[in-house]
Amino acid sequence: MAAVETTVAPQAGAPGMTMLDIAGLNVSYPVYEEEPVRAVRDLDLSVRSGEIVGLVGESGSGKTTLARAVMGLLTQPGRIDTGSIQFDGKDMRALSENQLRAIRGRDIAMVIPNPRSELDPLIPVGKQIAAVARAHLDIGRAEADAMALDMLKAVHIPDPTRRFRAFPHELSGGMAQRVVMAISLVCSPKFVISDDATSGLDVTVQAQVLDLLRTLVREHDTSMLFITRDVGITAHFCDRVAVIYRGEIVEFAETADFFENPQHPYSVMLLAAFAHNPALRNKWHKPLASTEAEAGRACLYAPRCVHREDECDERHPDLRELGGARHLVRCHFPVERVA
Amino acid sequence: MSAVLTVEGLVKHFPIAGSRSVVQAVNGVSFSVAKGETLSLVGESGSGKTTVGRCVLGLIKSTDGAIGFHGKPIDRRRNIRSSELRGRLQLVFQEPAESLDPQVRIGNTIAEPLRSMGVSRPDQRQRVREVARRVGLRDSTLEQFPAELSAGQQQRVGIARAIVTDPELIVLDEPTSALDPTARAEIIDLLIRLQQELETAYLFISHDLSTVRYLSHRVAVMYLGMIVELGTAKELFSHPRHPYSVGLLSSVLLPNPKLKRESAVDLAGEIPSPIDLPTGCYLAGRCPFADDQCRSEMPPEDTVAEGHTVNCFKHRDALRGHEALDYFDDFQVEAEKLLGAGRR
Repeated sequence: MAAVETTVAPQAGAPGMTMLDIAGLNVSYPVYEEEPVRAVRDLDLSVRSGEIVGLVGESGSGKTTLARAVMGLLTQPGRIDTGSIQFDGKDMRALSENQLRAIRGRDIAMVIPNPRSELDPLIPVGKQIAAVARAHLDIGRAEADAMALDMLKAVHIPDPTRRFRAFPHELSGGMAQRVVMAISLVCSPKFVISDDATSGLDVTVQAQVLDLLRTLVREHDTSMLFITRDVGITAHFCDRVAVIYRGEIVEFAETADFFENPQHPYSVMLLAAFAHNPALRNKWHKPLASTEAEAGRACLYAPRCVHREDECDERHPDLRELGGARHLVRCHFPVERVA
Repeated sequence: MSAVLTVEGLVKHFPIAGSRSVVQAVNGVSFSVAKGETLSLVGESGSGKTTVGRCVLGLIKSTDGAIGFHGKPIDRRRNIRSSELRGRLQLVFQEPAESLDPQVRIGNTIAEPLRSMGVSRPDQRQRVREVARRVGLRDSTLEQFPAELSAGQQQRVGIARAIVTDPELIVLDEPTSALDPTARAEIIDLLIRLQQELETAYLFISHDLSTVRYLSHRVAVMYLGMIVELGTAKELFSHPRHPYSVGLLSSVLLPNPKLKRESAVDLAGEIPSPIDLPTGCYLAGRCPFADDQCRSEMPPEDTVAEGHTVNCFKHRDALRGHEALDYFDDFQVEAEKLLGAGRR
């Protein structure tokens, strides 16, 4: 592909404008003497300015691979086969490593779980926040330190002046996660990718961190891709919800619409996992033992699907609009609500 | 109902090297678990729930208090490792992958407790197959290695290894928190079925409140090494009395955007350090209802209903009008409606 001149779209960042646009993305990991593993398949996903999009999937569904592909940080030997990633009007795949480095941390930031492993154990946390600000913004040490202190206040760290000099091991898990958030947000990025960032936290701390994250996102009109295994969080935190299964988006809808009227059998099964009535739950869920060793069906979900028909083995379903309200679903036989 | 396990005034302090202060992990915990019953310990990390589980098994020596198994004490000489109790108490771990030896075949892993009890080889093999079927593992799986199994199947192996000796009590320490929601639901159903078949008592340690509501008979809410509220699961989840329980329960995010959590209690901040415990109620620093009495005196246990106790001075006034929290039950009603859906 020829190097594309990076063009800045007019009025970048205006509300409602597309901030991130992924089209036809394919990511695979080559395997020795075997077919490559396709981690992300023909994936289309867009996030508008000021919007929080939730991406829900089980482990191994390709969520993290997608996040890393967007950041240009795929782990070896993963590679993007085809597709485009437009961020804020720029073609991310055409940028050089140096150009990407200028964007990462400045315009796109990533929040990941295990805050302690992300922080440098030998540097006070305030200095770590300031270092990111100095790397991207043309400011001096004193100004960067002041920004870092402001960020510690913004993420509600108690006693921020003292904690500025604290080392990561002196902080609790919840506080360390907030420091990681402060690092991500110190340059007021246009886009934040959160990869399972709250999964290790206690529910009370998780509730605080989510409230805080939403406030910060709203205040700065930041967009966000919120990746999680927990469909429960997306109900209360996201504007739209996408469900990913084996690297494919199988459903994408406004949050209220998604939970009111989930249409893909896999989405319903994810919701059913929270139900306490086993009979009802098993109506949507095939036990794992019966679904082993059944790859290569036309619909990737067919082996686990309770609604499987011959057509599901013959023709791969497209992501299509159903029932209006921009509700997309990839299924030949979508679910209909009876009530 | 006779109690399988009784814990009376359990205290566990860990010394800190080079310091005279101690980590006060458990500060006077009392409860009992009956045959065929599940008692859950819930609380944030650092509340001491895992330490209680390890003391119960005799894996660590308690500082004070008494632990009884069928009325006889568990202590340094009589514990999960001693010949008398070996096999009668069992444990299921949080990380299934890490609790299985990667180089040992599944069948041998499940047989291991029997080997240490001196069961003959043919008997071992027969018993392992029986147990594997019971937890939903195929016979062919017994020849496989842990890395060949999914996390849900690995946890089935962990459970099979625990029930292979037909124990009277199993301590389950966060057995589902490393699993995806669908695998988690399967494991929970399995645990419930096994308990009905085998009448095993479970001490279930978890911070996953949705799971706890589903599987427990009784629930003890722990905070900084103390039980602050104890009651039946139904009662405690629908009428929590302690401000901490209310805050904890309302922090759970269930997948239904219409069920907004409106909490009467906003738990600010985080759990304090167990090294310098505050005087008075341990929650006073985070509790919106705390007054001078709360900050100076430790609240006594108050019985509010049959089998429902609360340690709080304020629970009668502060939460009046906010008593019913039907969030979890409402969610189930909504979920039933939704899941009754059919195919288009």
